[in-house]
Amino acid sequence: MGRPGLGRRQLLGAAGGLAVAAGFGFAGLGSGADALASTARTRVRYWNLFSGGDGSNMIAMLDAFRAAHPGIAVKDSTLQWGNPFYTKLAMAAAGNRAPDLGVMHIGRVAGFAPGRLLDAWDVDLLATYGLREADYTPALWQRGVIDGKLYALPLDVHVQLCFYRKDVLRKAGLLGADDRIVPITSVDDWFGVLKEARQATKKGLQTIGLWINDQNFQWWFFVAFYTQLGGTWFDDARTEVTFDTDKATQVLAFLRRHVSDGYADPAMGSVNAEQFINGAPFAWEGNWSVPVYSGAELEYGAIPLPPVFGTPATHAESHAFVLPHQSDRGGAADEAAHRLAAYVVTHARQWAAGGHIPAYLPTLSTPAYRRLSPQSEYASAMDHQANEPKVWFAGSTGILAQRVGPVVVSSTVGSARPDAAARRMRDELRTLLAMKNPMDGRTAAQGGTAA
Amino acid sequence: MTTAGSVLAPTRAGAGAAGTTTAARPGQGFQHGGWFVAPFLALFSLFVIWPLLRGVYLSLTDANITGTGERFIGLDNYREALDDPLMWDALGHSAYFTLLVVPCIAVLAFLLAMLAHHIERGQWLWRLCFFVPFLLPSTVAGNLWQWLFNPGTGMVNHVFGLDTPWLTDASYAMLALVIETLWWTVGFSFLLYLAALQSIPAHLYEAAKLDGAGAWQRTIHITLPMLRTITGLVIALQILASLQVFDQAVVMMDFGPGPENSTRTFVQYTLEEGFTSYRVGYASAISIIFFVIIAAVALARMWLLRNRTEEAGR
Repeated sequence: MGRPGLGRRQLLGAAGGLAVAAGFGFAGLGSGADALASTARTRVRYWNLFSGGDGSNMIAMLDAFRAAHPGIAVKDSTLQWGNPFYTKLAMAAAGNRAPDLGVMHIGRVAGFAPGRLLDAWDVDLLATYGLREADYTPALWQRGVIDGKLYALPLDVHVQLCFYRKDVLRKAGLLGADDRIVPITSVDDWFGVLKEARQATKKGLQTIGLWINDQNFQWWFFVAFYTQLGGTWFDDARTEVTFDTDKATQVLAFLRRHVSDGYADPAMGSVNAEQFINGAPFAWEGNWSVPVYSGAELEYGAIPLPPVFGTPATHAESHAFVLPHQSDRGGAADEAAHRLAAYVVTHARQWAAGGHIPAYLPTLSTPAYRRLSPQSEYASAMDHQANEPKVWFAGSTGILAQRVGPVVVSSTVGSARPDAAARRMRDELRTLLAMKNPMDGRTAAQGGTAA
Repeated sequence: MTTAGSVLAPTRAGAGAAGTTTAARPGQGFQHGGWFVAPFLALFSLFVIWPLLRGVYLSLTDANITGTGERFIGLDNYREALDDPLMWDALGHSAYFTLLVVPCIAVLAFLLAMLAHHIERGQWLWRLCFFVPFLLPSTVAGNLWQWLFNPGTGMVNHVFGLDTPWLTDASYAMLALVIETLWWTVGFSFLLYLAALQSIPAHLYEAAKLDGAGAWQRTIHITLPMLRTITGLVIALQILASLQVFDQAVVMMDFGPGPENSTRTFVQYTLEEGFTSYRVGYASAISIIFFVIIAAVALARMWLLRNRTEEAGR
């Protein structure tokens, strides 16, 4: 019949043999790769939360590190930003499967059980790789220090900015001789500017996009202006709420006025960036929008949030390197993690191009950085940071923002009166202050989070 | 249609009879049937019974996400939950959503089924149109409607000439969620109704026609009563599903709690407490509370149905 002399059993046998052989083959490959990693090179496992422009900048910096340190293999994983990232990091650290290096927002470090889920940095080792405390502003360095040990090594400061379209403001006569927005030092100044700008704005566009319905952004703006008024949150012992409802009411009424006077439109939702690109004169956004607007080749500038209550202050958070807890931390991988973090911090010129203010002062003071536009216009924000309080429930997208952010939104959109919202905020702060940190069973007053 | 009661009654009697005849060979019943249900029992125990018992235990502790250092704290979590306005808000949102969705689904599914049943030409097209959305993953349906509800560029405002901030205003957000859910899930109930409609004997309608009953009367006096059992089923399934609403809400609200927390559902709040606030003990306590509520609703429905069946039997 001309068929090959291969029976069904033979065929199955051959297939089975192939499968087994392939299994051995892959197993061999696997052990070979492991051997390569364990003997020939030091491997650093690094988890981060950078996507988009930040992600490609970070990858470029990692590639530069790999080229400079061929003996260290960096295995980087980018995970989803926000709470999913923190949950994975906490569980990995608790289950002793933590990566060698991780990234966190510095405001979240206090709530992340330093000493149990995070290991402290070896400051002397960092110094041998060229990174010292003196390379930071003292306040920023201290934000990473808990119980006298450094747990977070800041990479940058990211701030909320007031972006403005130069073409629109020029038409409205709101640009100074230096081609920058006229100085603003009071609430009246600011609404005067908005009024003029509105007249020069194309029809169908709002005057300013300020994320009216977003609990995080509204909370960040609140923190900025409340700090401008000199407002405080808690006493030093973390037992009393010192939140000033009068000041808070002032801030909430200020935010609300953007909507009630028709400068910002709640219906716009999250199209602020698109509106700005289309010609809206203002957008309040994080500095991470710089690559977006620069990519759109707009004629624009960016200043910190205007000091309408007198004292300059703009909301700031910070990406920081952390060492997730490993029961046997130490050795070559740990040293390589220190070396990698120090390298990225000290070579953050690339990072700064993405809009972030470098935490490393020698980079911040270089002429090359000072020439970056619009970065140079807001670099001063480093000295006027408005931070959330240093307590376990604070930090980017943390419990504080989750509980208090919606209250700010309710006032801004007009469904709650500013004074009532301020009182609700104080109540929420009281509740949170009495709450125990689930990670260590202690309240803010019981320590663990004080610097 | 048989009800749970009428199925159970003969079974119980049968078990008694079997008990007398198999007295000489104890255990034979399990040997024969037990192995068949063993795989199911094993999985059910592993994924339902064990987590439930573990959840009850965790609800009495202050466990965190990392599973370390948990302490027994008695009923503290339950006491806290009863005083927690956010939990009550979330429960209110889930209940409100259920109240809006369930009657709408039942009515809409019935009307669509009648339409598909009575239209002769291109019936397959109607069935397809009404059922296909149900096949979409919740993320796809949620994203789709997020675009449709976009106040500036969305089709909903454009087609109806509106200027409604659907997803960004607390007074519309829940409504938007309900509309999306109706479109997305009505297909399932539609299919149940359609199958039930097709099983109504044609001679009933013919007899009614001969007696001079019009279309309206035939619907009221034949169709609706014949569909009573399926309506009960649709309502029960919808209540249980709607109380557990989660995925479409978080997708449409960008994983947030909606404008001014207006769409934060109970499941979402439980997730936030467990995985954002890391309070696994507390999250377990509120999920046990929710379990009890849902179980009570299911039992209440069974009880009501049994009473009705008994009345009908009298």
